[in-house]
Amino acid sequence: MIVRDEVEDLRDTALDEVQLDRRLSETWSTPTGLWGALSTVDHKIIGRRYIYTAFIFLALGGILALAMRLQLSEPEARFIGPDRYNQIFTMHGTNMMFLFAVPVMEAMAVYLVPLMVGTRNIAFPRLNAFSYWMYLAGGLLLWIAFAVDTGPDVGWFAYVPLSGPQYAAGKRADIWAQMITFTEVSALAVAVEIVVTVLKQRAPGMSLDRIPLFVWSMLVTSFLIILAMPAIMIASTALILDRLVGTHFFNPAEGGDVLLWQHLFWFFGHPEVYIIFLPAVGMVSTIVATFTRRPVFGYLAMVMALVTTGVLAFGLWVHHMFVAGLPRLGESFFTASSMAIAIPAGLQIFCWLATMWAGRPVFKTPFLFVIGFMVIFVIGGMTGVMVASVPFDTQVHDTYFVVAHFHYVLVGGAVFPLLGAIYYWFPKITGRMMSETLGRWTFGLIFTGFNLTFFPMHILGLQGMPRRIYTYQPEMPWSGLNMFISLSAVILAAGFLLFFIDAIRSAASGPAAPDNPWGASTLEWATSSPPLPYNFARLPVVGSLEPLSNNSETLSVAGGLSVDRRELIVTSVVEALPEARESSPGNSIWPLWSALATTVLLIWSIFTPWAVVWGSIPVSIALIGWFWPKGTPEDDT
Amino acid sequence: MFRGINKAKWPFLATFVLLVVAGAFLGWARQPRELRTDPPIAADLDHLRLMPNGISGAPPESYFAEGKLYESDAYNLSQGQRLYDWFGCPSCHRDGRGNVGPSFLDGWWLYGPEMVSIVASIRDGRPHGMPAFRDRMTIEEIWQLAGYVQTIGAYSAKVGATGRKDDRQTRPAENRAPARILFDEGPVGVHPDQGPSP
Repeated sequence: MIVRDEVEDLRDTALDEVQLDRRLSETWSTPTGLWGALSTVDHKIIGRRYIYTAFIFLALGGILALAMRLQLSEPEARFIGPDRYNQIFTMHGTNMMFLFAVPVMEAMAVYLVPLMVGTRNIAFPRLNAFSYWMYLAGGLLLWIAFAVDTGPDVGWFAYVPLSGPQYAAGKRADIWAQMITFTEVSALAVAVEIVVTVLKQRAPGMSLDRIPLFVWSMLVTSFLIILAMPAIMIASTALILDRLVGTHFFNPAEGGDVLLWQHLFWFFGHPEVYIIFLPAVGMVSTIVATFTRRPVFGYLAMVMALVTTGVLAFGLWVHHMFVAGLPRLGESFFTASSMAIAIPAGLQIFCWLATMWAGRPVFKTPFLFVIGFMVIFVIGGMTGVMVASVPFDTQVHDTYFVVAHFHYVLVGGAVFPLLGAIYYWFPKITGRMMSETLGRWTFGLIFTGFNLTFFPMHILGLQGMPRRIYTYQPEMPWSGLNMFISLSAVILAAGFLLFFIDAIRSAASGPAAPDNPWGASTLEWATSSPPLPYNFARLPVVGSLEPLSNNSETLSVAGGLSVDRRELIVTSVVEALPEARESSPGNSIWPLWSALATTVLLIWSIFTPWAVVWGSIPVSIALIGWFWPKGTPEDDT
Repeated sequence: MFRGINKAKWPFLATFVLLVVAGAFLGWARQPRELRTDPPIAADLDHLRLMPNGISGAPPESYFAEGKLYESDAYNLSQGQRLYDWFGCPSCHRDGRGNVGPSFLDGWWLYGPEMVSIVASIRDGRPHGMPAFRDRMTIEEIWQLAGYVQTIGAYSAKVGATGRKDDRQTRPAENRAPARILFDEGPVGVHPDQGPSP
């Protein structure tokens, strides 16, 4: 029994603002220094780290893209050899999908969701710390392997038999497969945290119909992650087993099946597109609502469209496999379902258009990116409907038409909203504003550069240029357009460079931001910029969809939480009625040790199956250390 | 411009940069995968000096300069695995356990386990039925095949050893070190089952 010398169980209702701030800071803040940085479980610090890391990977992946454009700028160019080129396009795709797009969306959620639902930390904060270390380790594994000329060279979807034991020599494909394990562990961990945070930690009164659209989108995304990612983990593990211990999952001669890989991969791979796109839908909805000065038109329709997209996402993976030789009936079914996804997507577009029509748009940088998103995404969506049809897809499969299509959808559908979101939430995260002038230049360069770079790829594809070729002959009618694309890529790169310069410069010396610079109505703007370690001094109580717009002066709050230990409110799933005061785990170094032990196990297991046996010992020790009761106030609930 | 990066972040950034730079240095120092060997180096591979009895000897100088590529490099070993099938080795040696020709798995090398001996066996042929392949394969292919044949009989699997083929499985793949499992220690000395004497 622990006896405290002070007042037993001091509550926030007994304290004034100054004392409350001091007490809460003591309880919630992260100690300075390296040890504090390594053991923190603050969702804001971890979310920020996630965002920084993901943007570093974006920059690295962009450099690879430029390298490819250099090589393809003229026929028979000799800047990069075929082997290195194979590694580069594989790294570009793998890096952008697994190390940038998915993690950065989760990173935004890790930072923003707890603030938007009005709680003090994400659910399972130590798991959150663990997930970041796993993500970082996976990213380093891939990039260091690439640096030592062992980067994967089998394409980002690593089809067998090319990636199988007979044709992919060395450890390159294993590195790819094991990197998947790292990022999936981390993604699954974050998804579980988000689901629990959204369902159980919302501010009192924030019933399901008062959740901000960004939070809805992250909730749907998290369920997609939980349902889709196990498929790829099974597939990549089966691949490693085939390659290392000689199992026969993908060996037709022994009863295995190469198509099994494609099914497992795309059962994950197609929902993956929506895992990237749905958070962007949430960001766009948030930005549109703020800059048109009115709530998004058709809240219920938007939420339904999100959920519908999430459900349909699992019913159309086979459209990636139309040329694999599947039964006609199956192809027709998946054509229909692929076209059906245009319905919820179109619904969302029309809801945003209606919002803009009815509102008074303010054309600030975040809103410009949203408009850019709508233009580009609609074009990408239309080519999407085109390639959903089997006869057309058979013609353009594996050509630059497909390359153009998915860049329009992914860059248009996710990167534009993301950049808008960075401009939008930058003041909240750093406490400083980004430059509006540079922001407009950034948008102009990226929008122009993007369209000039990727639109001609449609034409190249129709002219028959296959994707993933490291060079082409001068006799082919492709050289002019390729040179044009490569030059346009420089404009695009200049736009991104300007964005990075603006972000770094503004973080250091931008003008200080007020708490709510855009006049937005969601809860994250109710706290200071940047938020204090405990997010809210008193937890808000929500009475409407737009808690900050109804009565901007005052916000009702809930009291009665302990200030001696980390505590937050657990509410009911539907109505968000307060249910309990729940403790939230404090800082711990054990997530880092656990991540390191897991990293050793996973990398070692590329080389010998015995690593799974011997490597599990340090993992067990680290997990026991993690869960050992330590007698902290948070432990004695 | 970088004042915004506060003190706690420097260790992370430094570690990140250090790891990537170290990796890039290792990659630069290491031989990148060559899909087409330089012609003079490939020609030099023919200059091995055998002992008078045709067993063992000295490989060409360039072989060491290249870092004994054909014994350890995963790409060359996997090429050897394909050449093994393409040039009909299984018709006499089966999957490595031997048939008309001697086994590679029984721990018994008639001409020694050195690369030069194996290369010479493939290139020039041997008595009792081993044909010469010098007119059917390039010397580089012969080295690749020799590396693979040596891997079949290795007692501990090399890191770059090949995995199973997409084919009927008749024995564990080279990366499972089948020789260690299948090697019959048997009575010491010349073994009648282990093929004809030279």
